[in-house]
Amino acid sequence: MNNMNLVRGIVLMAVALLFGIGSLNYQIGQFSRSGPGLFPLMVSCLLFLIGLISAVRSRFVKPVPLSYNARSIFFVLLGLCGFALISQHLNMIVGIVFLVFCVSGAGTSYSVVRNLKISAGLIVVAFMFRTLLGLQLPLF
Amino acid sequence: MEILNNLAFGFEHALTLHNLWYCAIGCMVGTLVGLLPGLGPLSTISLLLPLTYSLPTDGSLIMLAGIYYGAQYGDSVSAITMKIPHASSIVACIDGYQMTLKGKTGLALFTAGISSFIGGTVAIVVLATLAPTLGEVAFMFGPADYCALMLFGFMCVSFVTTGSLLNGLAMAFIGVLLGVVGTDVNSGIARFTLDMPFLMDGIGLISIALGCFGIAEVVKNLDSGSQLTPFNGKIKLMPTWPEFKRIIPSALRGSVIGSILGILPGGGPTIAQFAAYAIDKRFSKYKDEIGHGAIEGVAGQAAADEAAARTSFIPLMSIGIPENAVMALMMGAFIIKGVQPGPNMISEHRDLFWGLVASMWVGNVFLVILNVPLVRYWLSVFKIPFSVLFPSILFFCCIGTYSINNNLDDIFITAIFGLIGYIFMRLKLDPAPLMLGFILGPMLEENFRRAMLISRGNFNVFVNRPISATLLAMIALFIVWQLVTFYYQSRRASSEVAA
Repeated sequence: MNNMNLVRGIVLMAVALLFGIGSLNYQIGQFSRSGPGLFPLMVSCLLFLIGLISAVRSRFVKPVPLSYNARSIFFVLLGLCGFALISQHLNMIVGIVFLVFCVSGAGTSYSVVRNLKISAGLIVVAFMFRTLLGLQLPLF
Repeated sequence: MEILNNLAFGFEHALTLHNLWYCAIGCMVGTLVGLLPGLGPLSTISLLLPLTYSLPTDGSLIMLAGIYYGAQYGDSVSAITMKIPHASSIVACIDGYQMTLKGKTGLALFTAGISSFIGGTVAIVVLATLAPTLGEVAFMFGPADYCALMLFGFMCVSFVTTGSLLNGLAMAFIGVLLGVVGTDVNSGIARFTLDMPFLMDGIGLISIALGCFGIAEVVKNLDSGSQLTPFNGKIKLMPTWPEFKRIIPSALRGSVIGSILGILPGGGPTIAQFAAYAIDKRFSKYKDEIGHGAIEGVAGQAAADEAAARTSFIPLMSIGIPENAVMALMMGAFIIKGVQPGPNMISEHRDLFWGLVASMWVGNVFLVILNVPLVRYWLSVFKIPFSVLFPSILFFCCIGTYSINNNLDDIFITAIFGLIGYIFMRLKLDPAPLMLGFILGPMLEENFRRAMLISRGNFNVFVNRPISATLLAMIALFIVWQLVTFYYQSRRASSEVAA
């Protein structure tokens, strides 16, 4: 199962099914007078076909193991979502500190002092964006 | 004569103090960000695009163009000094890095800079001559022809960027499907919006670009856990006269190749460099030295790179079809600024078009007079460790997404696309065709529905029109060729297993 080529085919087919089944909710119409669902349905069919070919082809070529590292992507996504949530409900300065401290967990080394320095630098940059470029940042 | 008139008109616009300023800032910031590991022109442009929102239309497009050239030069600098390539500077790694090993970094950087200047200058002449003429050709295109042209573009880009037609096409189709999200222009029905109001206008270009290129790149670098050793060598920039003489012929050859390859669909800097390098290796007077740190190995590809980067604007500005992912992003920027690239652009926005063409050359001059002498200071960017850099890059991604609509919800979308981009990267699916599909998707649907409406649902319209018939025939031939190669490859592989 741990075969990148096969997983790729399955992922492509899944995306195609997602959009293809979704497009059935809209009016399909005819080619001469197409409804909103026709075009996505056609493209999904093509994509499904490609996914199917990829999956079948993976049986004939040498399997390549799928490698991934969940740690980095987890910390990065957590940092981004946390930043957005905190900025929404509290303010962006706290958001920046959270972002820096959270995503650093994905790095090779962790240093509180360094994180504080980066946070301070980014807060200064955010203030500059606000005053110089006129961005509406909810800083406090 | 008319070209000279038009160019003079363009320079009149490009040489205003404001536009000069935007161009200079674009080149400098582009170089600085382009130098950073893992950030190629695509990610640099998507990262810096939000900066241009508050500027006037002509200024912002001029600045973006500057960012693009700056990023490309920055790329070749990181390739030459430290062998960190991006898609657009793979070739610069070969001879450029060899020259660094020989202690000739300065000469390599100077060669790359001056060759880009030569390439850019040649390309601008081509651009000024061809773009208006091609604009007239575009009026011969009907909806069916546009469809065929876009499909042809998908195929070329898929093959060139990923090397695998199947994977590239899959990504292009996913991009087309993502482009469908939002309100259908014909019926007014909201499609695939999951009842979320902020998806009614469709998914934001920046969310996809920053997610798939910015965030996914950062995570990729984190995964590999790579630590860079900064470049600490000495740099002597000025070449001797015999060295200088070697740059010229190779750069001119590269300029011509780059200008031609830049115009073709799927073309652009990447393929142009390889072609120029291959030709230099065959026809140069010093062909035996190429591959071991020859000036020609740097000059030809740098000129081709730059020339192709400029002439790839021709299809975008004259026909309205971007031919690679960078141009698709540029097209997005044009549209955000209310300028629809296409055959009417030259007549409707004459000052903008010629101003942009002229500012490309001004950008070249800036590259030579600013970046080349200052390159030793730019290199200090590498002294920033990655552990400091990546939180900052992620922060800029957030600010970039937020600043479009002043909406924090957009950051969630960007994060989702970061995850999607990461999955694609792990599955070895290149997001560049996805970008092209996303931008061209709505146009493809519109033209397909129009063609079907005109022909009353008859698919013959694609075969009866000469332009679309030719393009579709080329697509068919290409697919057959791919099938045949795959068949022979698998036969050879199975016979090897049997043996």
